[in-house]
Amino acid sequence: MNPAELALYPFERPATLAELCRTLSARAGRRERTVLLAGGTDWIVERGFAPPENPDDLPLVLDISRLPELRGIQLAKERAAIGAAATFLEIRSHPVLLRRVPVLTAMAREVGAVQIQARGTLGGNLATASPAADGAAALMALDADVVLASVHGERRVPLTQFFTGYRATRRAEDEVIVRVEFVLPRTGAHQAWRKVGTRAAQAISKVALAAVAEFERGRGVRAGFGMASVSPVTASLPTVRALALAPSLASVSDEELDAATRHDIAPIDDIRSTAAYRTHVASALVKAFFRELRAAAGS
Amino acid sequence: MALVGRSVPRADGPAKVAGTARYVDDLTRPGALLGATLRSPVARGRLRGIRRDPAFDWAGVTVVTAEDVPVNVVALIEEDQPVLASDEVRHAYEPIALVAAEDPVRLARALRALTPEIEPLPPVLTVADALARKAQIHGPDNVFATYRISKGDAAQAIASSPVRLTGRYRTHHQEQLYIEPQGMLAFWDANGAHLVGSLQCPFYVHKGVKRTFSLDDAHVDVTQAVTGGGFGGKEEYPTLLALHALLLAKKSGRPVKMIYNRQEDVEATTKRHPCEVTIESGCDREGNLSAVSIKVLMDGGAYVTLTPVVLSRAALHAAGAYRWEHVAIEAVAVATNTPPNGAFRGFGAPQTIWAIERHMDRIARELSADPLELREKNLLRVGDTTPTGQFLKESVGVQRCVEEARKASGWDKKRASLGAAAPTRPVSALLRRSAPGSSAPRKARGIGASVFLHGAGFTGSGERRLKGRVAIDMLRGPSGKKPLFRIRTASTEIGQGTETVFRQIAAEALWVSMDRVEFATPSTSVVPDSGPTVASRTVMIVGSIVERAARDLFARTENERQKGGGSFDDAALRLLAGKEPVVSEKTYETPGDVVWDDETYRGDAYPVFAWGCDIAEVEVDLDTFETTVLGFWAVQDVGKAINPLLCKGQIEGGTLQAIGWALNERLVVEEGRILNARMANYIVPTSLDAPRFTTVLVEDPYSMGPGGGAKGIGELPMDGGAPAIAAAIEHATGIVRDDLPLLPEDLFAARRTGT
Amino acid sequence: MRIAFVLNGKKRALDAPPLARLLDLLRGPLGLTGTKEGCGEGECGSCTVLLDGVPVNACLVVAGQCDGRTVLTVEGLGTKDGLSDLQDAFVKEGGAQCGICTPGILMAAHALLTANPQPGEGEIRESIAGNVCRCTGYQRIVESIRHAAKERASRESG
Ligand SMILES: Cc1cc2nc3c(=O)[nH]c(=O)nc-3n(C[C@H](O)[C@H](O)[C@H](O)COP(=O)(O)OP(=O)(O)OC[C@H]3O[C@@H](n4cnc5c(N)ncnc54)[C@H](O)[C@@H]3O)c2cc1C
Ligand code: FES
Ligand code: FES
Repeated sequence: MNPAELALYPFERPATLAELCRTLSARAGRRERTVLLAGGTDWIVERGFAPPENPDDLPLVLDISRLPELRGIQLAKERAAIGAAATFLEIRSHPVLLRRVPVLTAMAREVGAVQIQARGTLGGNLATASPAADGAAALMALDADVVLASVHGERRVPLTQFFTGYRATRRAEDEVIVRVEFVLPRTGAHQAWRKVGTRAAQAISKVALAAVAEFERGRGVRAGFGMASVSPVTASLPTVRALALAPSLASVSDEELDAATRHDIAPIDDIRSTAAYRTHVASALVKAFFRELRAAAGS
Repeated sequence: MALVGRSVPRADGPAKVAGTARYVDDLTRPGALLGATLRSPVARGRLRGIRRDPAFDWAGVTVVTAEDVPVNVVALIEEDQPVLASDEVRHAYEPIALVAAEDPVRLARALRALTPEIEPLPPVLTVADALARKAQIHGPDNVFATYRISKGDAAQAIASSPVRLTGRYRTHHQEQLYIEPQGMLAFWDANGAHLVGSLQCPFYVHKGVKRTFSLDDAHVDVTQAVTGGGFGGKEEYPTLLALHALLLAKKSGRPVKMIYNRQEDVEATTKRHPCEVTIESGCDREGNLSAVSIKVLMDGGAYVTLTPVVLSRAALHAAGAYRWEHVAIEAVAVATNTPPNGAFRGFGAPQTIWAIERHMDRIARELSADPLELREKNLLRVGDTTPTGQFLKESVGVQRCVEEARKASGWDKKRASLGAAAPTRPVSALLRRSAPGSSAPRKARGIGASVFLHGAGFTGSGERRLKGRVAIDMLRGPSGKKPLFRIRTASTEIGQGTETVFRQIAAEALWVSMDRVEFATPSTSVVPDSGPTVASRTVMIVGSIVERAARDLFARTENERQKGGGSFDDAALRLLAGKEPVVSEKTYETPGDVVWDDETYRGDAYPVFAWGCDIAEVEVDLDTFETTVLGFWAVQDVGKAINPLLCKGQIEGGTLQAIGWALNERLVVEEGRILNARMANYIVPTSLDAPRFTTVLVEDPYSMGPGGGAKGIGELPMDGGAPAIAAAIEHATGIVRDDLPLLPEDLFAARRTGT
Repeated sequence: MRIAFVLNGKKRALDAPPLARLLDLLRGPLGLTGTKEGCGEGECGSCTVLLDGVPVNACLVVAGQCDGRTVLTVEGLGTKDGLSDLQDAFVKEGGAQCGICTPGILMAAHALLTANPQPGEGEIRESIAGNVCRCTGYQRIVESIRHAAKERASRESG
């Protein structure tokens, strides 16, 4: 680990999104590599462990952390738009999000600790595309869209389709994530965030579950799940989603939930945990959420 | 004025909170180069050479290899470890070459431009392979050390006991993870070699430098910089780092600073020895213990370092805080091709205390006895003898510790109301699938206890051989009116409060205020050799020398006052007016009745023991097997607390290290390589993981201890945490774990396999 | 790159590589060695400083990102002979042992007390959860922060 070589990278701070997109496009055209730098909590850490591949040809680092078009949290007409450069700290202290989207604010509050929350951004969390990304799991449960911009304009990719493999996404080299958008869960929706990490704070998820379920007259009308660290990409648990929309939750057995969860995940042994433990915990968290749903339905 | 017994604020506090305290990385010297180490990527092999990339511009870069080392040994207990590997490489990360350069970028690139050429040899990676002599890597049998302790006839007594129980208990590595990584600044001048660094034991480094460079005492100066934690990790290792920095400084002709980064520190420096303990015991149905036979097996890693001493302490604590009429202990440490293990707070005792305490719980389980009652019934008392035949004549405060802990924690009530309600209830009942909609409890609470002891000071004849020395100078004060006093000792301040406590002890004995007592920066050319800052010996042993030196100066001054009149200060000034410096230097005198035989391992293993009882209350999530420590009661007999606040700080900090060892920490070693040498994945507790501690100090004074009876307590708090947590988890869930750690994955696996 | 910012209340400008870590700038050219490096990867918090009043790890912030902002380090809290009330509380209540984590913890605690003058124990623990201390077991740190908050409250009411 030697972060000294970091100081050698060239650096620019584009003033506007348009300028950023032009630079990205021009460089991509010339096959020059570019790095977008937001909070740096992933990229700088990685630099400390991996020396530059070619010290004589370092990529250009573009600081996007203060780009106005990427900042801020907008709420309008039951839709939320969160800038890619919004930090976890901004998210967890947003009054409306706290009330309407606790799955998101609870997630943000459990990212690292305050120092990481103050720097880490949603855009960085999605772009790194780690299966352990907590932000990605919560946004998955909200069925968020990722909005990408380039010189060609904006395009929107549902988060469920954004990740293409371990640490790989649909973002093209000349694109930047500008924001994520989702429909606010209706008031009274069931939302849960449960992170099982390596310790109580400053922890990476071994398994984390984000869940949102909306009901109308006792009947599930929308259910979203996101699970971290159980497959090469953030898991959206499609089979479990289907069970949450079953006509009667009471008829969904724990065995069915176990089977559905197992079907939707592909956990591995790694430095943080074991596949067997992850399978068990994934099921347990899903069952716990269903218990809450049933209890609410019964009351 | 009574300074002793008061929580005076720590003397080094203001500089530390203001950010002006100078740690080694805050220091530099004009023209200093930065140094780094080329290390072995493999666990074992033959070093064929070191390739230098010809394309790299080597100008201004200094490279040191084994050929540059005058005497290629690190002088510790044995001289088996080379300063730089020259032939056989014995563990991953073993130093092979050193590099120095002007700036960190050049340094990083120069390091990458060196490639060790190693022909791999089959490594010995486990204790079993070492014993089976899969390869011969140390001596004829791969054994570093063996100790035997015996009292009575254990085998026969166990055979004839009504209740015979056997268990095997394993503990794992632990990394000290002091927050300041190791570092050293070295330079040479006309007076010889100079070192300033993060270290616990200036005279260990001193000895190593003298040996490797064939220098005499006067030509080596080792100074301690403010040190950001040690916990044993900066006991023997800094010698190696000092030698490296000096080699680079010598060859380059420039000062050299070497600061490890975190990953290198975790990979290369010593760790707590993994250990396996087998216990066979005999007792009656009422739980009266009679005999125990214990086998201790330790993994020493690739070099001897301090392993024999660690092993000895492990053996001496293996029978726990209990009365046994018959004892047989055999302890063996072997070599493996893994990074050397070494000193870590507790020094072998936490490993064997884990075992005996889990075994006590096993006996309680078998007899359906209350675990604390079973322990109480068998506690050592004044008048008993330990396994080495040591007669306990005073300061055995363990009974009081247990009573206070029981009361403070609400043990009786919690033991009855929490936990797997009936002890016989199978675990599966707790985990049975709940019917839909039902709200079966998903969390279980429990409470568990441990009782333990820790020998203070060096083992056996160690203190007698060492003859620790301390000097106190009387000096003219700044105004010329009030004389000052300066303590000179090699005992270092590493966060535990040495400076403050020593100044308290000296000021009290001199009848002056604390601001008139200074603490000299430990530097081998200024301070006498007080022995190393280890083995819980600082306050009790070295503190007692401080006290004697201070008393001596006081008596001399008082004598002068009676002769010539005036005040104490007047008399002191008259003494200072003489030609000779006014100084008192004292040497430790082992109490005459402390006798020890190294051959038979019989006698007084330690001058005295400190005692403790820990109680943990936990909640285990039955879905995820995460353990939350809800409360922790640490009740410890410290003899006399010189500074209760600092004393409690030691106990809480040490206890959290023990809790971390149990619940969070796990070093992943594969093929002799460490896979999680980062703070991101070697997990230690944060403020949200740490419990609220209730810390109670019991004072059963030791007649030879300073300040009215202080005993060493630096390591004691490391001993009891892990077994108390394991017992509480067992009470909560019925899951019995005989091996550390107790991570959720481990509890989950134990629940599944039913072991 | 020319970097101008307000450091401990004073305007400063210097030339630095834009991707140099703030930590290295502080400890090197700016001579402020009170901010410590324990891991270089955002885990230990001993490099914590306040950037525009918010705690960040100086090992993960680069120079170019500090341009035009304010930075507060431990040296900006008080001096050895004129400690801030919070620093003083750490000395009195045993919040510092080896002291290597202390500057970072002071910065996190300073930010907490500025935003929330009367925090509960849970809030205190959460605010320093990104600062690893291997010496104290945290309890004396929590007490130190609590003590400082109490003193402030009694000063204001008295
Ligand atoms: C101590 C510590 C604790 C952590 N704890 C957690 C945790 O609990 N949970 C968790 O999920 N993560 C955690 N992380 C990881 C990290 O903080 C998050 O992934 C964070 O969201 C990354 O955001 P960033 O802005 O810092 O990304 P950066 O490091 O700035 O960027 C990361 C990557 O994303 C790219 N990128 C950034 N923004 C954009 C954009 N707008 N468009 C396109 N590409 C972009 C960058 O080019 C880079 O490749 C932790 C990290 C550390 C160091
Ligand atoms: S050095 Fe920055 S967090 Fe550890
Ligand atoms: S006081 Fe040593 S790490 Fe906190």
